[in-house]
Amino acid sequence: MEHKNKSGAISRRAVLQLATATGLAQLAPPLLIQARGEQSVKLGLDNPLTGTYAATGKNELSGCQLAVEQINAKGGILGRPAELLIEDSTSGDAGTAVQKARKLIDRDKVNFLLGNVNSALSLAMAEVSYEKGVLHVVPGGHTDAVTGTSCHWNVFRVCNTTRMLTNAIAKTLMEKYGKKMYFLTSDYAFGHTLQDGYDANLKQFGGTKLGEDLIPLGTTDFSSYLIKAQATNPDIIVFLMNGDDLLNALKQAVQFGLDKRIHLAGANTELEVLEGLPPEARIGDWVAEWYHVQPNVPHVDEFVAAIKKKTGRVPTARTWFGYVGAWTCALAANGAKSLEAEKMARALQGMKLPPEVGLMPDTPFYREGQNQLIGSLYVGHAQAKGQAGEDDLFHVDTIVHGKDVAGTVEESGCKMTWPKA
Amino acid sequence: MTELILFNVFNGLIVGAFYALMALGLSLIINLTSVINFAHGGFLALGAYIAYELAPYLGFWGALIIAPVLTAVLGLVVERLMIRRLYGRDPLYSLLLTFGLAYVFEDGLRYIWGAQSLPFKVPDWLMRPLSTYLFFLTGYRVFMVVLVAVAVIGLFLILTRTRLGIRIRAGTLDLETVSVLGVNVRILRNLNFGLGIYLAGLAGVLAAGLLGLQPTMGDALIMPSFVAIIVGGLGSLVGTLLGGLLIGVAAGLATVYVPSASEAIIYLMMAVVLLARPRGLLGEEGMNL
Repeated sequence: MEHKNKSGAISRRAVLQLATATGLAQLAPPLLIQARGEQSVKLGLDNPLTGTYAATGKNELSGCQLAVEQINAKGGILGRPAELLIEDSTSGDAGTAVQKARKLIDRDKVNFLLGNVNSALSLAMAEVSYEKGVLHVVPGGHTDAVTGTSCHWNVFRVCNTTRMLTNAIAKTLMEKYGKKMYFLTSDYAFGHTLQDGYDANLKQFGGTKLGEDLIPLGTTDFSSYLIKAQATNPDIIVFLMNGDDLLNALKQAVQFGLDKRIHLAGANTELEVLEGLPPEARIGDWVAEWYHVQPNVPHVDEFVAAIKKKTGRVPTARTWFGYVGAWTCALAANGAKSLEAEKMARALQGMKLPPEVGLMPDTPFYREGQNQLIGSLYVGHAQAKGQAGEDDLFHVDTIVHGKDVAGTVEESGCKMTWPKA
Repeated sequence: MTELILFNVFNGLIVGAFYALMALGLSLIINLTSVINFAHGGFLALGAYIAYELAPYLGFWGALIIAPVLTAVLGLVVERLMIRRLYGRDPLYSLLLTFGLAYVFEDGLRYIWGAQSLPFKVPDWLMRPLSTYLFFLTGYRVFMVVLVAVAVIGLFLILTRTRLGIRIRAGTLDLETVSVLGVNVRILRNLNFGLGIYLAGLAGVLAAGLLGLQPTMGDALIMPSFVAIIVGGLGSLVGTLLGGLLIGVAAGLATVYVPSASEAIIYLMMAVVLLARPRGLLGEEGMNL
């Protein structure tokens, strides 16, 4: 069957067939269904499995999977088995993420929605979950608005806000290395709000912003930005980006020898990024949101061993985000003794995570009126190799208490409206 | 400011040379077979991962030589088993096939080596800047430009001085006549595809040294290659080279003034060229798929 017109161009019919096929493909069953059973309680994970955030998305998935196994081993959710449905949201296509969220809610009838790594996709998915009244846990989308100006009663977040990250590190950087900063910032929600956070800190503590470049997500060549940044002679070049973007930018900065002349730092870094860097580029000051080397915190070693057994690698902050995300669903339902979203959301207000889930020096809790998890932040520096083995690529210098850098609910801009009875 | 602009022009030429290397392979395949090889980025990434596996045994230099050859061999197999069946048919078929192959490559790489980025070790002496002033001029980047120059000169010598090259060029103009004259067009297309994929593999190894390995690395690098071909002009390898250099410089200069448009600028450039000179800067009139 050929659809070639006389000019050799692609025919309208062929395009329509292609479009129909693409549409039908979206109705295919989820990639993976686990723990299938009668009347299961369904957790729908709509997260990147492909693209720039595939590595971080997959680690969140591993965390969710372990949590679901543990939940089922402990009797499930309200006595019913928990089941994890997984969809690939892609790394940057909000349309796909929303479509998959609707599919999970409307067709698969999930009781909980989880996702997304990408801040912009988290916000888009939150609008869907709010419209549908489904309890939604955002494991790793950092932009402030998720639990700030765009907060909803049904949306809870595990990772820190971008403002918490910048508040945790900006002042220390200025004290240690100087007050003149140049920013290389990812041009989407995550980067924008990190920049806002740094701007506020610079203003508060008398720092100077020498310049700021908004860089498209997925950029591979950072050489021209680095040339521009060093020309301003800053004390610190601040990288407000994540994933492969951060990895490529850092690698090129080190290749240019900029680390010998200018201090390199940022907001958060992740083990996924540090593992991808050559040893000489594992440098700079960062915030980690969870770390696998915590000898004095109970249950961390058990969690590390369980994930290692499952994946062969140590857990990252992303693994922990996914783990806490899935456990949050179970804790909400068991706390509310119901699967009604509003009752579960109310049960989560102020809820403290049990130590075997929290795994932090401070007991993490969901702050009432904002639905933001507040725990500990780990400020430190990247290292080529630490004492705890080849996976020990970050040295924690200071533990920052989340409540000290979270600001108030009013400052977050969150004005939560609950459904009317 | 002048220094900043000059630095960025210079840097843009380096980046552009790399775009050109990828685009040349793509251009070779399009010119002879009219196949828009969306899997070119996948082959590029594959070349990088093969080099990653070979490097512990052969070292960087051994991997640099062998990995592109192995990638090219895989290209020959793919052409023989899949692409060949679609010659002469609606371009949509080969487009869909290579589009699908790109996903297969990306997911295959992710399945085998994981989604995690991996570092690729390059000799230390290559990674150092040559001077403090021209800090962006590292030994590796200079080496990359030299290698691109060698590859381009080698390619032009093959195309102008060898029987195979002359046949490829003749086939680009009129494949039917070449076939009538007794040239085995099947083998010609096969070898041409392999040559294009060799360049993709070479670009992949070079990119690995610069950026490390990610299953998605081909995606990010392939679009500028398409733009380079369109700006330079379909059917013209010199045009492709020029297109690559131009978009590299344009992106570098955009960074100075409007950083957030550094990616958009190359597509804007493509749009302007298509409006003002649809065949591209050095493209041949009437050249189409």
